Order: sequence, then structure tokens, then C-alpha cells
Amino acid sequence: MFSYNLQLALRSLKQRVQLTILMILAISIGIGLLITVQTMAYQNEKMPLAHKADSIYFVQADNRELGADPIVSQPRMIYLTHRDARNLMTGDTPAKAHTTVWKTDIILNSLDQNIRPFRSRTAVTNHSFFSMFDVPFLYGSPWDNESDNNGAPVIVLTKESNELLFGGENSVGKQLRVNDLSVTVVGVLNDWDLGRRFYDESYSTSRHDTAFISDTFAINNNIMRNERLSCLPQDSSKRGIYRTNDVQGLINSECSFVRLWAQIDSASKAAEYEGYLEQYVMTQKSLGRFPREMNNYVTSLYTMVTLANELRGGRDPLKYIAPLFFFVCLLNAIGLLLAKFMRKSNEVSLRRALGASKSTLMGQYLLEVMLIGFMGGILGCVFAYFGLQGMMRVNVYQSDYTVTLDSLRHAFAMDWIMIGKAFGIAIGSTIVVGLYPIWRIINIPPASQLKSQ
Amino acid sequence: MLKMQSVSKIFRTELIETHALRDVNLHIKKGEFVSITGPSGSGKTTFLNLAGLLETFEEGDYFLDGVNVRGMNDNQISAMRNEKIGFVFQSFNLIPDLPLFDNVDVPLRYRGFNRKERKERIEHALDIVGLSARMQHLPTQLSGGQQQRVAIARAIAGEPAFLLADEPTGNLDSMMAQSVMELLEKINNDGTTIIMVTHDDQLAKRAGRNIQIFDGQVSDINLDSSDVLVKRA
Repeated sequence: MFSYNLQLALRSLKQRVQLTILMILAISIGIGLLITVQTMAYQNEKMPLAHKADSIYFVQADNRELGADPIVSQPRMIYLTHRDARNLMTGDTPAKAHTTVWKTDIILNSLDQNIRPFRSRTAVTNHSFFSMFDVPFLYGSPWDNESDNNGAPVIVLTKESNELLFGGENSVGKQLRVNDLSVTVVGVLNDWDLGRRFYDESYSTSRHDTAFISDTFAINNNIMRNERLSCLPQDSSKRGIYRTNDVQGLINSECSFVRLWAQIDSASKAAEYEGYLEQYVMTQKSLGRFPREMNNYVTSLYTMVTLANELRGGRDPLKYIAPLFFFVCLLNAIGLLLAKFMRKSNEVSLRRALGASKSTLMGQYLLEVMLIGFMGGILGCVFAYFGLQGMMRVNVYQSDYTVTLDSLRHAFAMDWIMIGKAFGIAIGSTIVVGLYPIWRIINIPPASQLKSQ
Repeated sequence: MLKMQSVSKIFRTELIETHALRDVNLHIKKGEFVSITGPSGSGKTTFLNLAGLLETFEEGDYFLDGVNVRGMNDNQISAMRNEKIGFVFQSFNLIPDLPLFDNVDVPLRYRGFNRKERKERIEHALDIVGLSARMQHLPTQLSGGQQQRVAIARAIAGEPAFLLADEPTGNLDSMMAQSVMELLEKINNDGTTIIMVTHDDQLAKRAGRNIQIFDGQVSDINLDSSDVLVKRA
């Protein structure tokens, strides 16, 4: 019966082909917009480093003054001071590894006079960063622990900055200038499908770090912190100096600007780490620091990303407009299906007279609407593909020069999950909207139509 | 074979009730050729629809091949209609974009016959009506009489016990009507019970038995014996 119903469904689709096309268009346009928006949200909310999301932890401790605002959103909470981050990294914690991240802007200058220098947004970190976050290398490798300890003048470039400075060739061992300092390239990153930049808690896709230097090198050479500084009142007035020429003062201040990540193997060890952090804060309290109540967090990457997603989730109006638009498209599809099916009332009545039960006809017409949904899904995926391509180009246009189409492609790519979702929504919703027209047509009394033909 | 006991059919709207059939008591035996006559609006087609299980009824019992259809669900009624009853309509009711072969195939599909059996039955049925050479033609490529023959082929392909014909010659000229009537008589002679609604007294007389319906009430006239058996309720 299935093959017969399939034959009938295909025949029916060919009849009044304009109506069929209109229905498929109504569904596919709605699906196209919905899947474009949902793919962007899905890729944006995708768990970065999913296989490690339960073993990478973000460490936070609130050292602000007593009158500071209450914490309303953990992802937006202040970072650590440099000295607290250092103390925790060198303390007897159950963490397997630690890394710190803060940001600076540097001028990268090739020794080749023909290549224009450019400003590079740079992550200041340590060598563990690359292994903790599974950073892929095209050439070379991260700097080593010794380089961290002695502040060696080394740098890791991204593929994009290596392209700008060295034309994409293997630059390991080559020299370049950071501001007025000579540094050696030790590694070049390959394409890093990170999704969003979680490690600096921006969760952004629109602006990339183009270089990585070590914390010790940055501090030894007075390379400036270039982000928001949250300082206690006693340090607030010095914020400007800390930014421009007193990095030593900054790292000894009560200004929080360091993100601390720890690699911890299990939840029990994370709880142990929390205990350690609490003890640490207690000790610091006895020294007159951390005046507020305890606000310490050791939060897995998974939880951090989930919290960040919740925080960002309600902001995008397209997320609400797309389903509404799809709903309107479905309403149109109901009308078109009704028009198409009601024209078949004579044939349906005849088939009922010749022995087709209501359930048989229900199966036949459900198969037909499923085919319409399937075709709507195919065309919807095509529309979504072009929608995503368009949105990707808009995004590149709105970003800085470090962002290329290639670097954003992953954030605007439909994977099999989204394609499956497109078909699921298309077929499922078409079945739902088809139920009423099908119910109407199979319940027409057959005798009323047969005499009137 | 076909037995109705005190069957009534009422059409209801918000304002009025119309008694289309009143207390019908009727017994049609296997192999009979029964004509149904009566003025327009008397209830002939309603009777045929009830007999063909296309309409439900409010009161009474209806036994088809010994089975009481009252209380059957849609699946059971559809299966019984498919197996026991063949329909021939005044306006042929062929599906215009299907070739003759596929039109005749429709009831056989719902019967669940396999491909080989369906093919044999379709070819045989079209052979009986003299259209086996035109199996792949579309209905629109045939004359009215030929289309009605296809409808008859479709009705008999499943070898139903009953063939219900609603003014089968109503849309045909006299020559074609004659040939369709001869075909129905042949089918009846082969053992199929035929119940035919007609306005044509001459055709009605060719049936072995005539049932007249007036204002929803049935009068039964045995044409073979010229006896008038009035079974007024």
C-alpha cells in the first residue's frame, strides 16, 4: 500500500503544480529563515572544547570593596588580581595545570620593510594555554616552561598574522618586532575551530587574537594591559598609570584583570580546589584583603558556557521573529493545502466508495504532505545555506581586518544536526498543518459528491 | 442476501428533518436483477447509498450477505464495500488522469491483491466490457458509452456479490444505453446481483424485479410474475 500511496502522492503533487510549488515555497522560506537563525544560535551556543568542558575550570574570587555591587551574573564577575592568580597557580592545588589570560594590543612589525606593521590584539598567557585548550599548530610549537620562567622573547602567531607578516610560509625561528622589542616566532597556529573565544570570556566570533606572548615577557617589558581594569578604590586613581607605563605597579595592585583557568580531572578534585580557594581567601582576609563575604567560584567550562548562553540567549530579536515568520508561512500552507485537498473531494469520495477506509486515505494524504514537507526541507536548506552565507558576509563586514570568511565559516555552517533539524521541522510541521485539511477531506460524506459529478 | 428490516434514513438540518426513507423492509436474493424507480426526490439514490454502505441509517437493521452492518466501524464497512459491492454511477466517476488500467485497478489495490492477480483481473474485466485493447487510454479519449463500460469493468473486477448502478444509462444515448444494459444483463446472468436505479421504464422492465419508491416508502413489484407486492409500512 505504501508504494501505491507514494505513486498517488507523486501524481497529486504534479496536479495543480502551481499550488504545490506555492506550498513548498511557503514552507521552505519559513524553514530557510528559521534554520539560518537557529544555525547561528546553535553554532554560537555550541560547547567549545566539548570533550574537555568538564575538566577545564574557571577560577573566580571576589576581592572587591564592601560596598561593591552584588553579583548578578557569574560570567560577568570580576577576574583575579595578578598576584592572586600567581599564588593559586603556584599553590598546592589539585589542578593538573593552570593558565592565565589577559589581553594587550601590540604592534607587530616585520623586519621586511615592505610589509606594513599592524596592531595585533594579543593574548598574554603561559605555555599551558596551548595544551589545555588543544590549540592546533601549523608550524612549530608553544614556548616551553623555561621561556615562561625567564620571560623569553618568543611569540606564537595565528595563521592570519603569519600570512600578513611572512606570506604564510613557515616562520618558526624568524624574527619580528613587538612594539620595539625583537622576538622570535616559535609557532604558528593552524585553523582553530574554537567556535567562540571562551578563554577570554568574550564568547565572541567577531574579533580574533592574532598573537600570543608569555605573561613574564609582557610584564618584564612593560607591555600594557589593554582592557577594562576593575580596581579597588585605593588603586582607582592609578588606573591610568597602570595602563600606560607601570605594569609592575599593576601586578602588585588590587586591580583584577587576570582570567585563571585550571585543568582539574574530576568533580571531586574541583570540590577540593574550591576548599583550597576558600582557605586561600580566608588567609588573605586575615591580611586585610577580600573584605566582602565569600564569593568564590570554581566553575567548569561547561557551566560557564551554559551561563553565558543563558545571558545572551534573550538578546537576539531574530530568534523570536523567525519562528513567528515560520508560523505565518505554515498558516499559508494550511490554506493552500485546504484549497488543494478540497478540489479532490470527488476523487476521495470515489475512493471511499471503492473501498478505501478513512485511515487508508489518511495514510495516503499524510504521505503527500510529508513529501511536501520533505521538498520544503530540501529547498529550506538551500535558502538557509544562502542565508548563512549572507549573514557571514555581513559579520565579516562588521568585524575588523583579522576576521576572514574562512575564520568565520564554522560559525555559519550547517552541520548534519541542523540539516536533520530542518527536515524534522519541515516534515513535522507540515504533518501538523496537514492534519486539518486531511481530516476535512476524509470526512466528506462520499455520497454527497458521487452524484454531483 | 440483501435484507433490510425497518430501515429509516432521516436528513437533518437546523430547521427541518427530511425522512428520506421510511421503515424500509426488503429482501433481495442472490442473482436478482432489481430496478429501482420512482419520481425525483423520492429516495432512490438514498436507498442505493444505504445499500452501498455510503450512508448510515438511523433505525432498523441491514444484513448484507448475512452480516448485520449496524455498528460496524469505518474499516469494517470499507472492507465490506470493497469486497461485496461494485458501483456504477451515472457520471461514470472515472479518475480523468489515470489510464483505464489504473482506474480499474483502484478497488483491487484496496483489496490487497498482489500485482499478478490485479493484472489478471483488470485484463479480464476490460475484456468483458470489450476494452482490453485500450487499457492505456485515458478516460477522456473514450466515448461516454465506453467510459461507462470502464466503470462497469472497475465495478466487476473484484467480483462483488452486488453491483449497484445509479442511472447507468442516464448520460448515454439510446444506442449506448442499449449496449450498457446488455452488458449489465450479461453480468447478471453470470451470477452478480444487480440493483439499478433508473428513470427509464423500458430499462426497468428489463430487470426481473422492480422496486418503486414514493416519498421514501418502498413498493415491491415482481415483474416476472406481474404480481404487485406492495409492502407499505
